[in-house]
Parts: sequence; structure tokens; C-alpha cells
Amino acid sequence: MNIAASTEIICFLILGSIVILGSLGVVLLKNIVYSAFLLGGVFMAVAGLYLLLNASFVAAAQVLVYVGAVNVLILFAIMLVNKKETLKPIKGLQIRKILSGSICLGLLILLIRVDITTPWPLPGPVSIGEQATERIGEHLFTDYLLPFELASVLLLMAMIGAIVLARRDVFSTDIETGNNAGQELIEKSNAPLIIDKTS
Amino acid sequence: MLEIGASFITAQASAAPGELLNLALNAGTVAPEGVVLVAMIATLLVDLAGEKVAARWVPPICYLGLGTSLILLAFQWNAPLEPSFLGAFLSDKLAIAFRAVVALSTLLSLLISWRYAEQGGHPVGEYAAILLAATLGAMLLCGATDLVSVFVSLETLSVASYLLSGYMKRDARSSEAALKYLLVGSAAAAVFLYGASLLYGISGTTSLQGIGDALLNSPTPLAALSLVFVLATVAFKIAAVPFHQWTPDVYEGSPTPVVAFLSVGSKAAGFALAVRILVGCFGAFDSQWKLLFTVLAVLSMTLGNVVALAQTSMKRMLAYSSIGQAGFVMIGLVCGTEDGFAAMVLYMAAYLFMNLGAFACIILFSIRTGSDRISDYAGLYQKDPLITLGLSLCLLSLGGIPPMFGFFGKIYLFFAGWADKQYLLVIVGLVTSVISIYYYISVIKMMVVKEPYEASEVVKSYPLIQWKTIGLPPLRIALMTCVFVTAVGGILSNPIFQWANNTVLGTPFLQEAIALSGDKLLG
Repeated sequence: MNIAASTEIICFLILGSIVILGSLGVVLLKNIVYSAFLLGGVFMAVAGLYLLLNASFVAAAQVLVYVGAVNVLILFAIMLVNKKETLKPIKGLQIRKILSGSICLGLLILLIRVDITTPWPLPGPVSIGEQATERIGEHLFTDYLLPFELASVLLLMAMIGAIVLARRDVFSTDIETGNNAGQELIEKSNAPLIIDKTS
Repeated sequence: MLEIGASFITAQASAAPGELLNLALNAGTVAPEGVVLVAMIATLLVDLAGEKVAARWVPPICYLGLGTSLILLAFQWNAPLEPSFLGAFLSDKLAIAFRAVVALSTLLSLLISWRYAEQGGHPVGEYAAILLAATLGAMLLCGATDLVSVFVSLETLSVASYLLSGYMKRDARSSEAALKYLLVGSAAAAVFLYGASLLYGISGTTSLQGIGDALLNSPTPLAALSLVFVLATVAFKIAAVPFHQWTPDVYEGSPTPVVAFLSVGSKAAGFALAVRILVGCFGAFDSQWKLLFTVLAVLSMTLGNVVALAQTSMKRMLAYSSIGQAGFVMIGLVCGTEDGFAAMVLYMAAYLFMNLGAFACIILFSIRTGSDRISDYAGLYQKDPLITLGLSLCLLSLGGIPPMFGFFGKIYLFFAGWADKQYLLVIVGLVTSVISIYYYISVIKMMVVKEPYEASEVVKSYPLIQWKTIGLPPLRIALMTCVFVTAVGGILSNPIFQWANNTVLGTPFLQEAIALSGDKLLG
């Protein structure tokens, strides 16, 4: 084994352990701010894994989008909703934890088993390295043109929707008749909201 | 399509960028979607001029856009079949049929929603724009033949649906519905992406046909796992049990016209996706996915129809009944025969009219009274014969009583299932149909049989019927159209049978699958 290969393996082991330990911390830690920062670390380590695979464009996109946008947004949300609130204890939490833990473990075992039994075509295709950006651009304007254009509609619609949901100055009259309108469902609620929905 | 993809990739390896520009996109096939997009942008622009102007001009723009879209779809019916966008989209007859169902369901949902939105004090411009964006996503989903297009159009449909279900933002029920739908839907989308990435890893292509060929050559355990993941997403979209938990709460909390769209348009797109992915891509795992879908169908029909018995809210009852109805449609998918697919298309068309007709009636009732409790419908025939007649016909049709449209749809499904020896499915379908007739009839009984003194308080103080308010005439048109088609569609169903059969005959990948399963039976 030459130096390049062993460096790669060492880097992979370090990055892999950061990803696994970090994501465990995200799920298990009580303090949500720690979780958010650890999530940023996990995203960075995943970007490192992309670099190891010689996919520098994807790595850069990962850092820009996930660390730069998503994670910062999560931290903002946490800071804006900085309210201490004691939640009611949930009944049978321990059993639920064990149940969901065992389901996740089962899924992990299934994935590992499938991974071992599948005959992988190794070695995979040769990485194109620096030409990746160019290739992605070509794809976006040829066979992925339709989804690329549709994504712009998706973003436009999401933006409008966010504004509609966030704005305050909504009028509260029926514009045809001038009656007051509550901006609620027309059907009156016949059961207490949210709490206790037995049917 | 595969040949084009392959030659494209080889061309790409060597060609200069200039040569790529000469590839034929064949973009005319998405003209119907383009018209919807133009209508959406026009709606947004008109909305800038203020709420009064929007309320006046947004409806005609939407009708024009969706009407033109339907006409363009009709023109595509006999056009020669060519893949467009280099294999990202295919406008075969199945896609055209389902896109027409989606566009029609949006048109009818919009007709019944103006008055509802205005009475709640909600801006109609943005509402229409988001609903048109959802339609755009759903229509593209019906014809997408590439995992990337499938995912992006699925997300367009889903994100628009989350926004629409939370549109009544001052109402806690609506916000709860939107949040639940968002969380469950995002999880489903993530599962789909995981499955899609496994499929890409196995086959090295994102084209559904290419993946199908790769799986046929080497059916690995990994492919079976990705089948489960993809199937879970599809089942979420069509609300099959046990992926249905979001349905009742979302249906109860969302604005009723949105529920009408979700239960027909969104579901139709989900079925189109199911056919395209399962039949077109997982041909190698034919028996496995059919077994899984049989289980899903039996559970959906049983649970949907049994739980609907206990509901007191009309919207919730229709939510559970729509879960059951999806179970019936799945019978056609499991058969995998020509009759099965045709029955599925036919039942989708029938379901469009009968379900939207029922929703038009309950929206009109809640606009007039502000209630959707089933017990409040008591004695309605004295005060409002139109709602009583319309709702009765649509519910009878949903239950499958002859000579309604729904009866012929259902009988065709059951015949196709019986011919393909799916005895379990057909027997469960028959038994649960009888159960469903019980709860549909009990609503009708509530409206018709009660004496005037037994009428509910709501009906006793029923307002004078008038149609003058803007927004009510379109609702009346939609209601009458749906009820008329539901009532007469059964008697004049022959052309629609022909249309459904032609849909299947004109769809190459369905023909291939039918031929393949026919060979298996013989050999």
C-alpha cells in the first residue's frame, strides 16, 4: 500500500467517525444548540467525503447549501424561538424510545446485509474530477433541462407561498359582501383543537 | 428512448458543445403544461393590481389556461409518439389521459373554491397561482420518464400541497394539517430519494426504461430494497394503508376545495407515477410488487371503509372513503392485464366526477351553514333540494349503485380482477363495497327520510337560497356538471370504455408489460 492510498484510508476513517459520532450527537444531545452546531460539523465531514471521491463541485455545493444556508437557518430559528418551555412528560417514552431504536437498528442490519450480498461492479466508473462542473452544466441544459426549468417554478411558488404565510396585512373582510371574515376554515370546529382527537 | 439516451451519452463524450445544440428537444409535448404556467404567471401579475381586480380577473384567466391546456391535450391524442427533452418526458396516451384528469380536477376545484376563499377572507390570486403550480407538477409527474424529472415534479406538487393545506393560516386546524403533511411528506420524499439513488447506483442511468433493463439483467437484493423504498413513497402519495395516517387530519384541516384537489388530482398523479415506475421500471420484480400491492389494496379497502362508518364529520368521512376508493383502483394495477389498466383509467375518470360532485355539495352546504357535521344534514331535502339530489347521486355512485357512473367503473375493475384470478382482492372489494354503501346511504337517509320536525338546528335556520353572490354561479356550474356526468356517465359509458381501452392500447410500455406477463402465463 503506497502513501496516497493509506492517507486516503486514514482520511476516510477520520471523516467517517466524525459523521457517525456527530450524527449520534445531533440526535441524542438534550441541548438543541449543540445539536445544530454538530449538524454543521456533520455536513462539513460529508463534504470532506465528497472531496475524497474527487467530486469537488459537489463538495463545494454541500458546504454552500448545507452549512452556509440550511444550518445557519436552523441556528437562526433556534435563536428566534428562544423560549424556555417545560413540556408535559410523554407517557411511555421509554418504550417508544426502545421501539424506535430497535426499528432503526433493524433497518441498519437490513442495509448492511443487502450491502454485503449485492455483487458490486468494482471498480466503479472512473471519476472525471475537474470536468465535473462542465459535465453537470451540459446535463442541466440537455437531458435534465425539463427538471431544471421546473425547479424554477418550484422556487417561485415556494417563495410566494412563504410570503402568503408570513405576511400580516391580510384583509379580514369578504371582498364581495363586505362581511367580516375570520380567515379560518368555514366549517366551525366541533371538537377542541389539536388536543385530544380520538376519532 | 433508450437508444436515444445511449447515443446521446456516446455523442456527449466526444462532441463539441456546439453539436449538443442540434439535439431535438421535441418540447411541443409540454405545451399543455406551458399554458398552465402562463396562466399562473398571468394570475400573479393581475394580483398586483389589488384584491378587487384579482377577484374579477383571476377566475377567467384560470379557466382560459386550463381549458386551452385540455384542448392541447386532446390534439396530442393522435400525435406520433416521440420522447421529448431527450428522454425526460414521454407524452404517451396514459400520460395524456392522466394529465387530462389532473387538469380537469383543478378546473373543477377552482370553480368550487372562489366563494369559499372569499368568505374566509383569503386572497384568491395567490391561492389560484399555487394551485396552478401544483397542477403543473402533477401533470409533469404523469409523463415523467426520468428519475430526476419524477422527483422535481413530485416536489412541486408536494410543496404546493403543503402550502395549500395551510392556507387558512389563522385556523389552528389548518396549520396543524400543513405541518403534519409537511413532515410526513418530506420524510416520504427523502425515502424516495434514497431509493432513487440506489437505483442509479445499480444501473448507472436515471431513465426509467434504462433502469428497468438493468434490473431485468441483474435483479439484486439491493434492487428489491429500492423497490420497497420507492413503493413506500408511491403508497404515501395515493394514501394507501398503512401509509395513510396523514390523510384524515390533513383532509379535515385543509380548506375543502383543496381537499377536493388532493383527493382527485394529486391521487391521479400518484397512480400515474405508480404505473410508470412499477410496471415500466420494476418489471423484473413483477410478482414481488404485485404481492405488496395486494396487501396494500386489501388493507386500504378494509380499513378505509370500516373506519369511515364511525365518522361524524363529512370531510373526515370522505377522507376515509377516499382511502378505500384508492384500494379499489389498486385492483386494476395489480391485475396488470389490458382490462386491468383500462379499468383503472376508467375508474379514475369516474372518481373525478363523483368525488368532486360530492365535494361541491358539501362546500355549498358549509358556505350556507358553516357546518360539516353529518348530523347537521338532517332534513335537508325540505330546504335545499339541489344539494340533496346532487349529494345523493354522487354518494350512490361512490358506493357503486347502478346505474351510476361509479357502478360501471367498479364492475369493470372487479371483472378485470376476476379474469386475472385475483379472487381475494375481488371478494374483499365486494364486501367492503357493501360496507361503503351502508355509510353512504346513511348520509342520504339523514337528508331525505327525516321529518321536518326532526331536522337539525342548522337546517331549521337555513338561509334563503340565492345564487347572486359572485363565486356561487361557478360553483353551481361545477356541481351540475359533476352530478350530470355521474348520473348519465353510466348509461353512456361506452365511449368512455373505448377511450380507456385506447389509452392502454396506445401506451407502448404497458403493451410490453402485458405481452411479457402473457408470455409468462403461456410458458
